[in-house]
Amino acid sequence: MKRFEYKVPGGKLLRVKVEDRDGRISFLQITGDFFLLPETDLEMLENKLIGYPLDAGKIVDAVTGFFAERKTTIAGASPADFAYVINSALGIRA
Amino acid sequence: MADAYTNMAVDEALAQARGEGKSPDTLRFYMWKPSAVTLGYFQSVEDEVNLDALKEYGIYLNRRISGGGAVLNSATGEITYSVVMDERDPRVSSDPVESYRYLCHGIIEALAILGIKADFKPINDIIVGGKKISGNAQIRRYGAVLHHGTLLVDYSAREMFSVLKISKEKLSDKMIQQAEERVTTIRRLLGRQINFDEVRDAFEEGYRRALNAELVPGELTPYENGLVKKFRERYASREWIYRR
Repeated sequence: MKRFEYKVPGGKLLRVKVEDRDGRISFLQITGDFFLLPETDLEMLENKLIGYPLDAGKIVDAVTGFFAERKTTIAGASPADFAYVINSALGIRA
Repeated sequence: MADAYTNMAVDEALAQARGEGKSPDTLRFYMWKPSAVTLGYFQSVEDEVNLDALKEYGIYLNRRISGGGAVLNSATGEITYSVVMDERDPRVSSDPVESYRYLCHGIIEALAILGIKADFKPINDIIVGGKKISGNAQIRRYGAVLHHGTLLVDYSAREMFSVLKISKEKLSDKMIQQAEERVTTIRRLLGRQINFDEVRDAFEEGYRRALNAELVPGELTPYENGLVKKFRERYASREWIYRR
């Protein structure tokens, strides 16, 4: 299990637990004290990223694209922050 | 005064009943017995809570439907409140920070009535002289906005540190001192004991002014009570509490 945590300056704490297998994400859990509505969007995002290749640029696009498409309301972090913690936990950079 | 499962079920029941048009906007004050830690919806139990300490102190564990951080809802040290409004009410902004600002205003008015000058600190805190006195969380569901929060009346940094994993470092007096410097309480600010009724009266008046609302005392309706019974089962379930 790879982990990473990040306190967004002026915002909230994001924590990621991630596992990868054969170059793809096999488990992902994002936790923290941020606000996100509708709250079911977070699990949807986690499920969407299962099977994703460990390509930091693609993960940034997938995360920011998902929140934009869903019109998710987030307080205390930005879509880019979510992508950053996932990539950081995986040890890859965009 | 109720346990954590019931308290969270009541908040959700009020939101659903409001969204369905079966209840009016509601302002609620409540306390916790026994004390409980509530996690934000997105937090993980293992990261936030010292389960051995909870067991030792007989403190319940629960998870809110709202985001935000873990809170020790002390049976003696704080008062909790919730505001439930129609989501379409034009006074409640769709912007989260503005929505927090608006619904925290009643607390700031209430503290002013008690002689304490407080300010809203984005995203979801109320501070006095730079120190946090109140944390708040909101959710929109069922067509309603549920805003709930806690106001520290008195608190023990040592108890809070022992149950919440605020830091991985060993509990030390220095850390407790640092926490004391970041957090304040009504009792400390007023330099005297204050009882629930006095705070509640200030809250009522504060929210009456802030929302320009007429407040009518009431109990839960039979419909709301039915929802509470249903939701309480979920809040008390292991599956809900340990979902993350």
